[in-house]
Amino acid sequence: MKLAPEKIGAWLSGSGPDSDVVISTRVRFARNLVDVPFVVRMKQFEQELVLETVRWALADTGYLKQGQFFEEEMLVEPDGLYFVERHLASPDLITCKNRKGLFVSEDETVSLMVNEEDHIRFQVLASGFDFATAFGKAAELDEKLEGQLAYAFSPEFGFLTACPTNVGTALRVSVFLHLPGLVLTREIEKVLRGAYALGLLVRGVYGEGSETRGNLFQVSNRQTLGQSEAEIVEVVSGVCRQIIDYEHKARQFLMHNLRVEVEDKVFRSLGLLRGARIISTEEATNLLATVRFGVALGIINELKLAEVSQLLILIRPANLQVILGEKLTGAEQEERRATFIREKLVR
Amino acid sequence: MKLCDICGKKEATLVVRQLDKDGKATDLNVCAECAKKRGLTGVEESPPESGAVITELKSKVDDSDAKVVCMRCGMSFAEFKRVGKLGCADCYQTFAEKLRPIIRRLHGSVQHIGKTANQGRKRAQERLEIQRLRAELEKAIKQEDYEKAAALRDRLKRREDETGS
Repeated sequence: MKLAPEKIGAWLSGSGPDSDVVISTRVRFARNLVDVPFVVRMKQFEQELVLETVRWALADTGYLKQGQFFEEEMLVEPDGLYFVERHLASPDLITCKNRKGLFVSEDETVSLMVNEEDHIRFQVLASGFDFATAFGKAAELDEKLEGQLAYAFSPEFGFLTACPTNVGTALRVSVFLHLPGLVLTREIEKVLRGAYALGLLVRGVYGEGSETRGNLFQVSNRQTLGQSEAEIVEVVSGVCRQIIDYEHKARQFLMHNLRVEVEDKVFRSLGLLRGARIISTEEATNLLATVRFGVALGIINELKLAEVSQLLILIRPANLQVILGEKLTGAEQEERRATFIREKLVR
Repeated sequence: MKLCDICGKKEATLVVRQLDKDGKATDLNVCAECAKKRGLTGVEESPPESGAVITELKSKVDDSDAKVVCMRCGMSFAEFKRVGKLGCADCYQTFAEKLRPIIRRLHGSVQHIGKTANQGRKRAQERLEIQRLRAELEKAIKQEDYEKAAALRDRLKRREDETGS
């Protein structure tokens, strides 16, 4: 296993535009090879064939040298969850029984799954609200891979995907938003319903279904056909721009009218994190998110946005165990998580 | 923020497009409450969640669906409805008639706009063929069919020399 567990994605550097509200921007394309059946109909030798062909293509385009290609035991539970927690692979990749692969670039901004729902799914992550970087890099990778691979395409339905929900551009763009201001001012539901009415999909980032933790949300396009790639980006980016502006206004309102209450919430969270001896992933996520809010507002100056955002991932079960280099039971994890967080937050 | 054209008080969340006899469209901004009162929900409302469309699909498998089968991968339309995934690129062609209404519901459109694929790059085809030959060769060796294996090995060698792989 060649991982750099404590070093985490450049997309979490907290340096991109509007980083106080937007954690990251993600652009994902799905592609299938024209001459091979889709994943549900693939025989094992075909799965291997696709794996080899894609690896070949990544090598020829020079991408393989910029990262690592993971296979086999790295992509099953429990180790595979490490990539899921880092938003580099989907849970389905880890649970499926296919011959599969995952390419991850050195800085973790580019990742590519082989034989998940589609033959190829690749994504680019950028720090903050930055479609120019994320889309630019994803389009470039698409272009280069297409020089090596023949994709399944129809003039009517566009890029053909295993599930018709992805057909067309096969492009899914999403923005990972931290919206504590809108949650505290109770404006969140209105905003999210508005985004949904405009054809976007809104989900909580952690937790199953629509349950949200830490006031972290993911907004993405629902439709992939009938709009060009540029239009999809424009719509999602336009709606997110509005949400970001609302969040800024809500934060100003809170700082103006309820400053002491907000400070109390933020410092209590920091106090709990610095004092806890046992802590679950869920509780830590909620508290860290509140601390992140405090850093973004300038209430806490001794921590950086990036440190706190990265902790949100490092404390998750698989990452924690890889970092500590040990397999831990649930109770052991809660104890070691508390220690890990305390050490990171000591100033 | 746009106010509701009916009550003039609440924020409009819905656009209702009305067509007159001549087909001229008028857009009306309506808030959720007024829309409900006037029975306007469902008109020009946001498209359904894709998950809901797929779930509905799974619940409506009928006999006629079993008869439409993709020649290339053998998937029937009934099976697609059950698993929610297609078997190969040809399925889109085979099931086009039945897929169009589903795709329209999912995306509000059935015509792709945007980037076009560069079809059938020669190099990609060559590679796939080499991979296929390798797999066949392995199979022949496993089955101890050495005559076939030798022929495959020669073909593979020729192809590799030609493509420089």
